[in-house]
Order: sequence, then structure tokens, then C-alpha cells
Amino acid sequence: MMGVKTLRLYLSSMGILLKSQWQYPASFLMQTLAQLVMEGGEMLAVVLLVDRFDHLNQWSGGDLYFFFGLMSVTFYLTECFGRGITGQFPSMVRMGHLDTLLVRPRGILTQVMCSAVDPRRVACIAVGAVSLALGSRMAQVHWTLPKALLLLESVFCGFFLILGLFLTEAILCIHSVKSVEIANTLTYGGRSACQYPVDAFPRPLRVLFTVAAPFALVMHVPASRILEKPLFPWPTWTAWLCPLAGPAVFGLMAFLFSRAMRSYRSAGS
Amino acid sequence: MDRTETPLISVRELSKRFILRKKREPGALFREKETVQALREVSFDIARGELVGYIGPNGAGKSTTVKILSGILTPDGGEVRACGKVPWKERKSYVRRIGVVFGQRMQLWWDVPVLDSYTLLKEIYRIPEKSYRERLGELTEALDLSGLLRTPLRQMSLGQRMRAELCGSLLHRPELLFLDEPTIGLDAVSKLALRDFLKWENQRYRTTVLLTTHDMEDIAALCPRVMVLGHGRKLYDGTLQTLLGRYDRLRTAEVRYDREDCVPVLPEGIRVERTGEGYRLCYRPETLPTGELLSLLQKAGPIRELTVQPQNIDRMIADMYREMDL
Repeated sequence: MMGVKTLRLYLSSMGILLKSQWQYPASFLMQTLAQLVMEGGEMLAVVLLVDRFDHLNQWSGGDLYFFFGLMSVTFYLTECFGRGITGQFPSMVRMGHLDTLLVRPRGILTQVMCSAVDPRRVACIAVGAVSLALGSRMAQVHWTLPKALLLLESVFCGFFLILGLFLTEAILCIHSVKSVEIANTLTYGGRSACQYPVDAFPRPLRVLFTVAAPFALVMHVPASRILEKPLFPWPTWTAWLCPLAGPAVFGLMAFLFSRAMRSYRSAGS
Repeated sequence: MDRTETPLISVRELSKRFILRKKREPGALFREKETVQALREVSFDIARGELVGYIGPNGAGKSTTVKILSGILTPDGGEVRACGKVPWKERKSYVRRIGVVFGQRMQLWWDVPVLDSYTLLKEIYRIPEKSYRERLGELTEALDLSGLLRTPLRQMSLGQRMRAELCGSLLHRPELLFLDEPTIGLDAVSKLALRDFLKWENQRYRTTVLLTTHDMEDIAALCPRVMVLGHGRKLYDGTLQTLLGRYDRLRTAEVRYDREDCVPVLPEGIRVERTGEGYRLCYRPETLPTGELLSLLQKAGPIRELTVQPQNIDRMIADMYREMDL
């Protein structure tokens, strides 16, 4: 799926899509503003929590802002650049747009990724980034190059984890030719829950978000290492290894997706 | 048809079924399933350079065939080789060599100038710059698109849009072109332009064309060969003339008398309708020769006008579908 030519195709596609969206600037600006309000509200919940309780288990207010920021930045980056998978896919199947992708000589997932972008999410990403910066300041993170790289790795791998989870819906939708919102429970549930460190939850949820939808491995393990309060008593190098669970989930789901495409039935005439 | 060459498309006993899940009946435990056999053992060959029309009533399986041949659907049984490949197995390398136009589905980007869409298609198909420029120049001229390249698709009329779509699907110089109802909704001028263009492309590059349509004039103007599909079976494969010859038995006569009160007396089995100023009747020259009809009509009074016409082609097709029990 990767490769220089693929990346170039992706960038050209983004160009054409942004140009399309900019045809309606007023609508674009209003919706971006709405997103800002929405995500600002989400952050307010954390602000109130920190204001009321000061800390959660061993996590200080600054730590909590950091976790929240990491989730917001990662999740909305995915929704921005992976819009084809996270939002458009069911309607592409229903309206038959997937047919037109199938008659072009490129991978289906690549083309799906290339067929939508959601720049309005910039507002949410900005809120996340502010929270991340605020958290790292309050928690007095001593930034080093490895820590910065670890953060980047976490965001990068988180992108693929979330994309992989969204593929569940895509796969179900190939079979049933309609959008199956329930398939996203794990994805949206994971986002809402895992903006807080996973040890805040009872055991079944901890297992769920470590093994099935490994947000804890991809985000909380490296983040807790950056904050120097390791979540698990594991050696340091595991903080670099754990996030790879994200691309692994994506790989598995991409495989299942290509299997599912074999039974694609198309729609309409 | 060049029979020494191996056919460009070879289809053997192609079958496809769809399972439809019905709505659950009240009180029933499970939803009923219904199997629809969209294609039943369809076989045919198409040689390079042929223009083939593919007709049949709605739901006959035409679109399913086109979707299988263009690599979108996987069949349940049978074999297909097109351009030496199995479409659904070698999708990427295969679709590079074909072009597909769906009359009811837009493939270009809606909100940007079509030129931007073409540039992106150039990248998707990895068309070399020089080849792209030449081809684009040639197609814009042949399709009369030069004034439209900077217009977004959403601002175009249906006819302009179809021409723009056709250009997009041919930029990579496909050997094989599938058109699924390309003239649907087009006005007469646009239809004629489209037909002329397809002829030009076919003659100049020997591009093989498979065309599904409900417009019999498309077939008459373009396709020396026609295949009829009904209920998923191939019912006819040959020239349009031979096909119509079998059903072209009725003639329509319109007659007007000098006076309004003249009423022709005709044998039973002949449909007579009163029109504004005269009569319209349908007869079979086999059973009632035109000469006899004429003398019967003359008995009723002095004839002012008489026209005899062959049957409308659409009506013939409708009769044919009826006779084939479609």
C-alpha cells in the first residue's frame, strides 16, 4: 500500500479533494467552527475532572491532559486523512462508487483512502495539540529526542490502529450493503474510554483495550513512558515495541477486507 | 469478424446468482431468502475490433455481465478470458487495458474542472506525459470538449458530462471498452455525436466495444452484431437484421377518406383504431396481402391519403421479448 508513487497519488488526490471542498468556503468555515466547539466541550470534561479531583490514581492533572491530547490528535488525524475508511465507505458501497474504483488499476484500500479527506477535523486536532502541550508543561516533561520520537511513533501507530478498527464496519458493509453503525462501538468506545489511562477502568475493560482494541499498548504505554510513570513494570524497550500492535491490527483487518471484497455484490445497474 | 485470431473476450458457461434477503414476515422466525439466478451458463466470443450490442429487458443480466467482464464481480461458475486474463483474478493488470463507462454513474470528480480529473487519472493509470498529451488533444477534438476542460462536471449538461466521462475512460488507450447504457437520457444531437465518436474510435484503433442499451437505434447505427439476453440466458447472437427479420411481420397503414362517414369493413384479426381524421390499422401482409387490403379499403369510399409503414423497432423488440416470454 505504501510506496513513493502511491504517496504521490494520495497527495494529488488530496489536492483535488481540498479544491472541491473549497468550492463552498462558508460551509467549510462554519463546520470547522462547529468541530472546534464540539471538541472544546470534550476537553472541558477533562478540565472539570482535573479541577474537581486533582488526580486519578497515580496520574496528575497534567498527565490526564497529556493522555487526552494524545487521543484527540491521533483520532482526528485518522478521521481527517482516513475519511474514506472512517466515514465514506458505506455510502461508497451503497451508491456504487466502489465499482468505479474497482475498474481502476490501483489497490482498493489505497483508492478508498484517496477518495476522501476531512480538513474540518483540523479544529479537533488543534484542541488535542493544545491539551498535549498543556499536559506536558504541567507534568514538567523533560523532552529528549527519543521521547519526541516515541510520541511520533505512538501517533503514527495509533493512526493505523484506528483505521484498522474502522475497517470492521467496512467489512460488514461489503456483506450487507448498508452501514452498520454498531460495528463502530469498539472504535468510538475506545476513543471515549482511552482518552483516560487504561488503569482507571475495571479489569474486563482493561483487557478489552489492551488485547482486542489495543489502545493501551499503542498510546498509554509510550505516553506513560514519556511521563516517566510506566503503566506496566516492563523494560524500556517495550515502549517502542508495543505501539506496533496498531499496524498489526491494521494489517490483519486489511487482509480480512481483501477477503471480503471477493464476495462484493455491487449495487444498482 | 476475423476468425483466425483468438477472440479478445471468451466467455464460457458464465453463471452468477444473487441471494436476496427479504424483509422478515411478521411472526416468522427467520428472514426468507430468495436466490436470483442473474446469469445462466452464458457463452460467447468477441473478436478484436468488434462492436457488439447487448440488449434485453431490465433485469435480464446485462449489467451483471458487464460487471463480471470488467472485474467488479466474481462469478459463481464458468470461465472468462479477456485480453488473455481472468478479470476478477488479475484485476489490476487487467483493468489497465479496459475502459468502462456507466451511463448512470459518474466517475470523474464532481466539483473540479474536468482537466483536473484527467490529470489525476493520468497518475492513477501511470500514463506517460507525452502519450497523455497526444491522447488528450485527440480526444478533446473528437469529442468537442476543448471549450469545457476548465468547467467543473457539476456545471455541465448531461450530454457534455457523458462526453467528458467517455474521454476520461479512454485516456489510457484501452483495447476494450464497456459501455453500460451510455445514451440514457441524452438528446438526439448528443446521441448522434456519441455514436459518431464510437465509430471513429473503433475504426481508428480497432477498439473493441461491448455496449448495453435500450435504445435500438444505438444498435442499428453502431453494432453489426447483437446479443439478446433474457432471464440470465443468451437467447440470440447474430446480426440485427436477421433478428428483426423474424419479428418484422406487421405493417401499419393509415388511411384517410374524402368524407368522414366512410367506414372500412375488414376481416377479423385486424386491429383498427379511429384517429382524428381517419383510421390506423395493423395487418400481416403474410395473411392479408397489401393489394387485398387496398381493395377492401377502397370499397368504403374514395381514399384521399394512404401510408404504409414498417413496424416501430421498439415495438418489434417488445413483441420479441413477449414471444420469448421475458
